[in-house]
Amino acid sequence: MASSAATRTAAGAAKVVKPIFSRDLDEAKRRVRELYRAWYREVPNTLALFQLDIGHRQAKDKVREMFDKNKHITDPRVIDMLVIKGKMELEETIKVWKQKTHIMRYFHETENQRPADFLSRFYQGHDP
Amino acid sequence: MLRFPAVGRALAGLAPSHSARVQSRAASNMVEVFVDGKPVEVEPGTTVLQACEKVGMQIPRFCYHERLSVAGNCRMCLVEIEKVPKPVAACAMPVMKGWNILTNSEKTRKAREGVMEFLLANHPLDCPICDQGGECDLQDQSMQFGSDRSRFSESKRAVEDKNIGPLIKTIMTRCIQCTRCVRFASEIAGVEDLGTTGRGNNLQIGTYVEKMFMSELSGNVIDICPVGALTSKPYAFTARPWETRKTESIDVLDAVGSNIVVSTRGGEVMRVMPRLNEDVNEEWISDKTRFAYDGLKRQRLTQPMVKDASGQLTATSWEDALTRVAGALQGAQGSEVAAIVGGMVDAESLVALKDLLNRLNSDSLCTEELFPMDGAGTDLRSNYLLNTRIAGIEDCDVLLLVGTNPRYEAPLFNARIRKSWLHNELHVGLVGRQVDLSYTYDHLGEETSVLQELASGTHPFWEVLSTAKRPVVVVGSSALQRPDGGAILAAVSALAQKARSSSGVEEGWKVLNVLHRVASQVAALDLGYKAGVEAIRSNPPKVLYLLGADAGCITRADLPKDSLIIYQGHHGDVGAPMADIVLPGAAYTEKNATYVNTEGRSQQTRVAVTAPGAAREDWQVIRAVSELAGVMLPYDTVDEVRSRLAQVSPNLTRYDDVEGANYFKQANELAAAVNQTLLATPLIPPQLTAKDFYMTDSISRSSQTMAKCVKAITEGAAAVDEPSIC
Amino acid sequence: MAEYVNIVRRALGQLGGHGGVRGFLVQLFRANDVKTGALIGVDKYGNKYYEDSKNYFFGRHRWVLYTTQMNGKNTMWEVDGSMVPAEWHRWLHCMTDDPPTTHPPVPRKFLAETHQFNVSGTAQQYVPFSTTTKKIHEWVPPKAQ
Repeated sequence: MASSAATRTAAGAAKVVKPIFSRDLDEAKRRVRELYRAWYREVPNTLALFQLDIGHRQAKDKVREMFDKNKHITDPRVIDMLVIKGKMELEETIKVWKQKTHIMRYFHETENQRPADFLSRFYQGHDP
Repeated sequence: MLRFPAVGRALAGLAPSHSARVQSRAASNMVEVFVDGKPVEVEPGTTVLQACEKVGMQIPRFCYHERLSVAGNCRMCLVEIEKVPKPVAACAMPVMKGWNILTNSEKTRKAREGVMEFLLANHPLDCPICDQGGECDLQDQSMQFGSDRSRFSESKRAVEDKNIGPLIKTIMTRCIQCTRCVRFASEIAGVEDLGTTGRGNNLQIGTYVEKMFMSELSGNVIDICPVGALTSKPYAFTARPWETRKTESIDVLDAVGSNIVVSTRGGEVMRVMPRLNEDVNEEWISDKTRFAYDGLKRQRLTQPMVKDASGQLTATSWEDALTRVAGALQGAQGSEVAAIVGGMVDAESLVALKDLLNRLNSDSLCTEELFPMDGAGTDLRSNYLLNTRIAGIEDCDVLLLVGTNPRYEAPLFNARIRKSWLHNELHVGLVGRQVDLSYTYDHLGEETSVLQELASGTHPFWEVLSTAKRPVVVVGSSALQRPDGGAILAAVSALAQKARSSSGVEEGWKVLNVLHRVASQVAALDLGYKAGVEAIRSNPPKVLYLLGADAGCITRADLPKDSLIIYQGHHGDVGAPMADIVLPGAAYTEKNATYVNTEGRSQQTRVAVTAPGAAREDWQVIRAVSELAGVMLPYDTVDEVRSRLAQVSPNLTRYDDVEGANYFKQANELAAAVNQTLLATPLIPPQLTAKDFYMTDSISRSSQTMAKCVKAITEGAAAVDEPSIC
Repeated sequence: MAEYVNIVRRALGQLGGHGGVRGFLVQLFRANDVKTGALIGVDKYGNKYYEDSKNYFFGRHRWVLYTTQMNGKNTMWEVDGSMVPAEWHRWLHCMTDDPPTTHPPVPRKFLAETHQFNVSGTAQQYVPFSTTTKKIHEWVPPKAQ
C-alpha cells in the first residue's frame, strides 16, 4: 500500500517512466550497436547454414536496411523493445528455428504489389 | 420495493384492484393455459400447438403447416393434456381454459414413438440416396422422437412414381400422406391437380390421371414436403444441403423481388430456395425464380469481345475493349451517345451509367420498358408504383385488374390476391383478356371502353366498386405500353380517384397501382431514366450503350450504318449478337446490388458466386470506361456508389423499406390534361397462358429447365420425361 | 595363361566382329557396347537378338541390336525399348528360355500384326483430359455472314 502510493507520488511529481533496459538514449544506442554487430557477424553463418542464394554484400545490406528502417526512433523504451525483438529474430536464426523461407521473407522476392488504383484492380481480377 | 420484500408483498396485498383488473381482462378475451406448468395467455380458438409455440415449445408435426388448413392426419403432434383421457392432436384441438398441456410426459412420448413407428413402417430406408437427406423432417423427428430399434420384419408397401412435370420429381414410396402438397395446390396455388385416392394403407397422392402439376408455384411443394417424396428434378443428386453455402439474396426475374436463398457449391449455383418475407413473398417463390438458375450457367458472356475486320466478334482483353469503348465515347459527344437499359440492371450500374452519359453531355438514357410520359408521367412516383403494396392486398375488399395477368406477370402478387380472395372474400374484377387467374372474378370485358363506362358509372361493376370500403385498382405495365398508354393511365387514375372518393377511405389508403414486369424499372424511373426507346428511334445516336438490354427494342436497322453498339450484360441473348463491343457483366447472383421492386421496396442481392471468366460487376465496368474516357466517375467502391445513389434518390439505399408516394390527386389532374384518345383495340396482356410464363428474359431464355417446362406444356409431360436413376 | 589368352581372343573378336572399323564404331555409338554372342534370331523388323550365357552373368547375357528402320521410322540413332515385339520381349527379359524362332508364338487375335512403338513423349502420346462437365457454358458469338 505504502510503496504503491510512493510510486504514484513519484510519477506524479517527475513524470519519470520506468525504463526497460536503457536509462538514456546513449545506452539504447549502445544496445543497438551490439545487436547490429551480432547480426553482422552472423551473416556468413546464416548464408552457409540456410544455403541462401544471396551474396554477403546483399545480406549485409539487408541487415543494414532493417536497422535503418527504424533510424528515426529516439525513444529509448521503443528502441529497447525493438532490440528485444531483433534479438529474438537473431536467436531464431542462429538456432535454425526459422527455415529458409522465413529468412528470404526479408527480401520480398515473391511478393507482388497489390494494385491500389481502381483501374488496375479492375484489370487484375474480380475483387483484389 | 425490491430491497424490502416484506413491505413489497404487503403493498401488493393492499392493492387488490390491480390484479383484479388483470384477471378480468384475461377472463374477457384471453384463455389461460399451461404448457408443462408454464402459464400462457392465448386468444380463444388458438390450437394447442400454437399455444405451445407461444412459450417456445415446438411440437413435432408433419401435416400441420401454418399457411395451410389443418388436416390433422399425421398424428405426430399428439400431446397429453392433464385430465383428458386420450392424447389429443395438438394441431387441430383448440385450447380450453386451464388446460395443462404436457409436451414431454411419458404418455406423450409413447404416443409420438408409436406414431413414428407406424410412419416408418412403410417408409423406405433410402436416406443415403434421398435428396431430402439432411433437411428431412422425418429424419430429424425420428432421431428426436422415434424409437431406437425396429420391430418390423414385414415387407414395405411400394407406390408407383408419377410424372408430374419436368420440375418435380416424385418418389411416392417415400410419401407419408401428410397431404400438405394437396392442400398447397388447392389453397395457395389454386389448382385442383393434386389429390388423394384410396383409403388406409392404399392411400396415394397423385393427379388422378397422368398429367402435369400445372401451377406457376408448383416448386413450393418441394419445400413443404416433409419427406423426400417430392424433390426438385433439376437438383436431383447434385448436392447435399450441408455442402452448400447459403447466400441470402433477391430474385430479379420478375418485379416482385422475392427474397431467396442461393445455395452454392464450388462456385456454382446449385439451387434457389425461398426466404421468408411476409411483406413480399411470404415463404413461396415462383417456378421461374426457383428453377431458372441453370440459365445462369449457359450462354454466359465471359470475355470482352470486339468485332474484327470481318465483322466477327472475337474475344479480347479488357484493356483493348475498354480502350475502344472509351475512344468511341470520346469521339461522340453530346446527343450522339445514348443508352438503353434492360430489365435486370441494378441501381448501382444505372446511376453509374447515368452519371457517365451526363458527363458526356448526353441525356438520352432510356429503359426498354415503356411507360407513358404524358401528364405527370414518371415525375410523380405514385404514378408508377404498386402503391398499395403486396401485403396491402390483404386489407382491400374490391380489386380491379386492368390489362394484366398477375398470375404470370407476378405470381406471388397473384398468390396474395388469391389468399385475400379465399380468406377475406375479396371481390375481383378484370378488364382485359379473360384468363385463368386461379380464382373467380368478374370479367368486365376486354375493351378500353369499359374503363370509360366504369368512370362514368354506367357499368354494372361500378356498383361494386363504389360501395367498396377499400378499393384497389391495379393496372398492368403492358397496358400502359400501348400507343394510348397515357390515356389508359389517365382513365385508370380518374377511376381510382373516383373509387377513392366514393369509398371514403382514409387518406393513407392508396388506390392506384401499377404492376411492373421487370426488376429494374422502378429503380430506373426513380433515377430519372426515360421510359421507352422512342427518343432513340427518332434521334438515332452514333454510339449506343446497351446495358443488359435484351428485349430487342432497337435493332441495327433503326440506327445509321456507321453507329457503334456497345453491349454490356451477362448473357449472349438478343443484345450481344448485334453489338460491336461486348462487355461481360455479372448476373444477379454474382453481384452485391440494389434492386427496387414494383412496390418501391429497395432490396439487396448478395454475391453468391463470383462472376465467370473475366466478367465484372456492372458498375465497375462503367466506372472503368469513365476513367479511360477521361470523365472519371468519383466512386471506387460500392459504398461510394451507394452514397451517390442516396444523393440522387435516398429511398434506393433505405433497404427493406418502402418509400411511399402520395400525389395521386396531382397526378390525376395532370393526367386529365393528356389529350390522347383510348384506342378500340382490346387490352391483352402479353403473358396469357402458362406457356408464356417460363421464358421471359435472358436468364430464363437460356435455361434448359424452363425450355423443358414450355415443351412439357405444349407436348405433355411425357415429352420431357427422362429415365429416372432411382 | 590360358585365361589371359582367352580374354585377348575375345577382345580381338569384339574389335573385329562388327565388320571392320566402321562397323565397330557404329556398334559402339549405337549400343554403347561391342560384345559379341550367338545370334539367336532376327525378327521381321530386323532387330537382332544375341545370347552369350557363358561369358556374361545373368541379366546381361541376352541383348538386342536394333534395326535401323522400323515402321517407316529411321531408328539408326533413335532407338527405343518398345521396338522389341511382344514375342521377343519375353525371351529377351528371360521370362522364357524358348526363343520364338524355335517356339513360334500361339497366334492370338489380340497380338498386333505390326508392332507399335511406345508413343509417350511424342506428339501422339495420350493426354488425360477432364471428364467433368463445364460449370459455365460461355456464349459463342454467331458466325458473321
